[in-house]
Amino acid sequence: MYVQLLDLACGALLLTAVLVLWRRELTVIIRMFALQGAALAVLVGVLAAQENSAELWAVAVGVFALRAVVLPYLLRRALAGAGESRRETRPLVNVSASLLAAAVLTLLAYAVSQPLVELAPSAATQAIPVGITVVLIGFFVLVTRRRALSQLVGFLLMDNGITAVGFLATTGVGLVVELGVSLDVLLAVLVLQVLTTRMRETFGDTDLDELRELRD
Amino acid sequence: MSALGVIGGVVQPVLIVAGSPLLVGLMRQVRARLEGRAGAGVGQPWRDLRKLLRKERIAPRGTSEVFRFAPLVLVATTLVVAVVVPFVATESALDPVADLFAVVALLALGAVALALAGLDTGTAFGGMGASREMTILALVEPTLLVAIFALSVRVGSTNLGAIVSSTLHDPARVISPVSLLAAVALIVVIVAETGRIPVDNPSTHLELTMVHEAMVLEHAGPDLALVELASAMRLSVFLGLLANLFVPWGIATEATPLALLIGVLALVVKVGVLGGLLAAGEVFVAKLRLFRVPELLAGSFLLALLAVAASFFLA
Amino acid sequence: MTLLVPVAVPVLGALTYLVFGWRRATTWVSALSAGVVLGAAIFLAVGVSRSGPVAAVAGLLRADALSAFMLLVIGAVGLVATAATPAYLREEIAAGRATARTAARHSLLVQLFLATMALAVLAANLGVVWVAVEATTIVTAFLVGQRRTRASVEAAWKYVVICSAGIALALLGAIVLNFAAAHTRGTTGLDLVALTTHASGLDPGVTRIAIALLVLGFGTKAGLAPLHAWLPDAHSQAPAPVSALMSGVLLSVAFYAILRVKVISDAALGVGFARTLLVVMALASLVLAASLLISQRDYKRMLAYSSIEHLGLVAFGAAIGSPLALTAALLHVLGHGLVKAVLFLSAGRVLQITGTSRIDGVRGLIARRSALATTFGLGVLALIGLPPFSLFASELGIVRAGFTAGLGWFTSVALLLVLVIAAALITGTSRMLLGEPSTVDAEAASPIPIALAGGLLACAVLGVAAGPLPSLLDLATQPLVVTR
Repeated sequence: MYVQLLDLACGALLLTAVLVLWRRELTVIIRMFALQGAALAVLVGVLAAQENSAELWAVAVGVFALRAVVLPYLLRRALAGAGESRRETRPLVNVSASLLAAAVLTLLAYAVSQPLVELAPSAATQAIPVGITVVLIGFFVLVTRRRALSQLVGFLLMDNGITAVGFLATTGVGLVVELGVSLDVLLAVLVLQVLTTRMRETFGDTDLDELRELRD
Repeated sequence: MSALGVIGGVVQPVLIVAGSPLLVGLMRQVRARLEGRAGAGVGQPWRDLRKLLRKERIAPRGTSEVFRFAPLVLVATTLVVAVVVPFVATESALDPVADLFAVVALLALGAVALALAGLDTGTAFGGMGASREMTILALVEPTLLVAIFALSVRVGSTNLGAIVSSTLHDPARVISPVSLLAAVALIVVIVAETGRIPVDNPSTHLELTMVHEAMVLEHAGPDLALVELASAMRLSVFLGLLANLFVPWGIATEATPLALLIGVLALVVKVGVLGGLLAAGEVFVAKLRLFRVPELLAGSFLLALLAVAASFFLA
Repeated sequence: MTLLVPVAVPVLGALTYLVFGWRRATTWVSALSAGVVLGAAIFLAVGVSRSGPVAAVAGLLRADALSAFMLLVIGAVGLVATAATPAYLREEIAAGRATARTAARHSLLVQLFLATMALAVLAANLGVVWVAVEATTIVTAFLVGQRRTRASVEAAWKYVVICSAGIALALLGAIVLNFAAAHTRGTTGLDLVALTTHASGLDPGVTRIAIALLVLGFGTKAGLAPLHAWLPDAHSQAPAPVSALMSGVLLSVAFYAILRVKVISDAALGVGFARTLLVVMALASLVLAASLLISQRDYKRMLAYSSIEHLGLVAFGAAIGSPLALTAALLHVLGHGLVKAVLFLSAGRVLQITGTSRIDGVRGLIARRSALATTFGLGVLALIGLPPFSLFASELGIVRAGFTAGLGWFTSVALLLVLVIAAALITGTSRMLLGEPSTVDAEAASPIPIALAGGLLACAVLGVAAGPLPSLLDLATQPLVVTR
């Protein structure tokens, strides 16, 4: 039962990451991101139930609050201010090609993470490649999308993946660091959100194609 | 070759040939009702087939044997698949052919034959339809292989009967990420392969959007009847495969009349429900532009590949 | 207690600006707090050299000679930058580009910036180092975008996105390293000392992944290729004192993290792995800096690319890894920090006077503002490694160590690239300083802030007689050299 639930949560992580890559409507992308946050919380919850640790349960609730509620809320608010530009219209790499690229990234993640799995084989560590795949897909979204908001989601996807790896590998990196990491992510998002607003004020849009002033 | 296999091998093709036009009729009826029309009734496809079969055989000038044999090849390959795939009974009359790769290759062979016939007519429509069909086929076949392969990894065999019976013994497997991802990929692929909305519209004759219909535009009379019958059979075969790979319950595992009866009924119900859902879904979805189709199929390929990857790296 | 001072005092400084804003009485609070950090660093350096490393706050903070040295760099460059800040801000307010509110927010964020950097070098835990380095990104994001022009908003966006993504890779590396540590006897968690002492027990396969991610991630923040793209934009768009701090210390603070990681890597995997990574990144940075400096038209970007070059040199020194190379690299960090701070501050002054950051827009500076031009010229001479400035000594040290360590070919390539860069810098600078002034303004020559002269002087003094610094540097490099 534990293994099944764990695998399901990991499958949901993977599926939502792929859907973020697939869909163009920013509202759908944000919804997928929220779902992924929930899946991550479930993952931590399953681990908490397995280890019977109250601390982990608390972390699971925290993860849910931050990644499935607060961050999507912030993103949605940023989107609401954006007016008409609600679609990722022209990604640098078209959607079919990026889906195929994601397939390659999956295999890459699998190959790279072999030493990690071999060090301590267990149901949890065997799922580490899933986390690494999410990180790579997030990085890909970050690099190839033009909308500020999509890039932001890419960054958050990376962060979700890293958190997943963290919990799957060992039970977190110590509470102080975990707290610091969450705080940093929240702050980074706030900073980026303020910048998005400013960008809209100065450029009239958040299409990063407009960012052409600085180049050599 | 077991008794169950032989019985299954006789019952399945009869059931599929008799039932698939009814399935198409059912789907049209569901659509008609949802769109507020009365509909022509479930038996209409059979009546159409009867009318077409009574007509004279006729082939366009300048076509070769390819054009004449294509409908036969299409029906024949689909019939073989109907015989071997575990629809009603888990055992197969021709066990070695009930292999994943053999089945996918047989289905592809039929599609290729029809596309060749489309090219053979030398008309603009036939060529366009064939080229579009081949584009879709090239994307669909790998996905189909990879998705079913993902399911076969845990079983350790690519025999469809083995995959179905192992799911039967271990029901928890159905809710694993592997089968969920594979299921989504398969559904997309089946929609594309059988020419339904959003990939193709089976009831259109608008030149910009036709895929399958453009290809068979030159067929008439008994040839057209065979093509229509074969398309209906392919639809039932795919839906039956989908149903039994993920929800195999009800399938006969022993050669008793009761078990077989339950097997037949289960198949009819499962395929009927899936067909109804598909038809109902079509009412609410718009057809994709042709250029967006590769995107959809690339996505389903990725999901299938993820399913394979997951079957390796999740315990 | 001494360990808390360098973090707590800037935080108090920030609070002061939060409460009282920017007014006559608070003008020098910033410089004062930087001075306190410098004092604490000297105090700490003396203490550490006498009686070994000290720890505080339940083992979360820890200082050895390396931390003390880095704190010294932060304090010294911070003092130069903050001492020049009031003049800079007064000019900005007078020109209507800033208000008292902007000035207060600027000073507040600079104080927090100093605090986070001090925390990064004093943290005993790799996780806390990570948090502190990421925090520097967040704090400086608004400083980069302070002017709210199109270019500065764009620079801030690129800065935050690239650095956060890069640093996220470092986090993944830290998590993987933690995983390796959890399966090694004697270590739990990311305590740097424990990790270093037990490094030989770490699983090599896992550690390799961790080290690659950590070096790449912190390398982003240190401005090393391939994830350097944010640096020229951010450094050219930020206000001058912030550019000075970012270029002078922030890059080296990130590099400090790489040094700590490298020790673990050397003990766990042998020196080859980290050396290969760093040599590749260092040479790539040098090539990149050289190719983009040759036809550079913007003097602030010119200085920014020169930062990439110097961090590349420092990385090269770290890659060599012998005591001489490491000592030289650390000395280079200090020298470069001081000179680059002076240069960015004078460039900021030039920008305020001429209103353009294009090299072509500044002609005959020496005829118009001789003192400023002299400072800038001397700074560039120091930057390209002419004696008596300390960069000469440190570059010489790195090159000699490179040839001794058998990296002759790579060292030659690096040397060649440094010469190309020197030529490019000289060309750019002479176009700015010499020639007929395009506009003749009869404005009274404003005096050069003492801070700038002081920074240059300190760098020159370091080059001639380093005083008690060598013994500290020896102590600092000791734990970094692994013999295996």
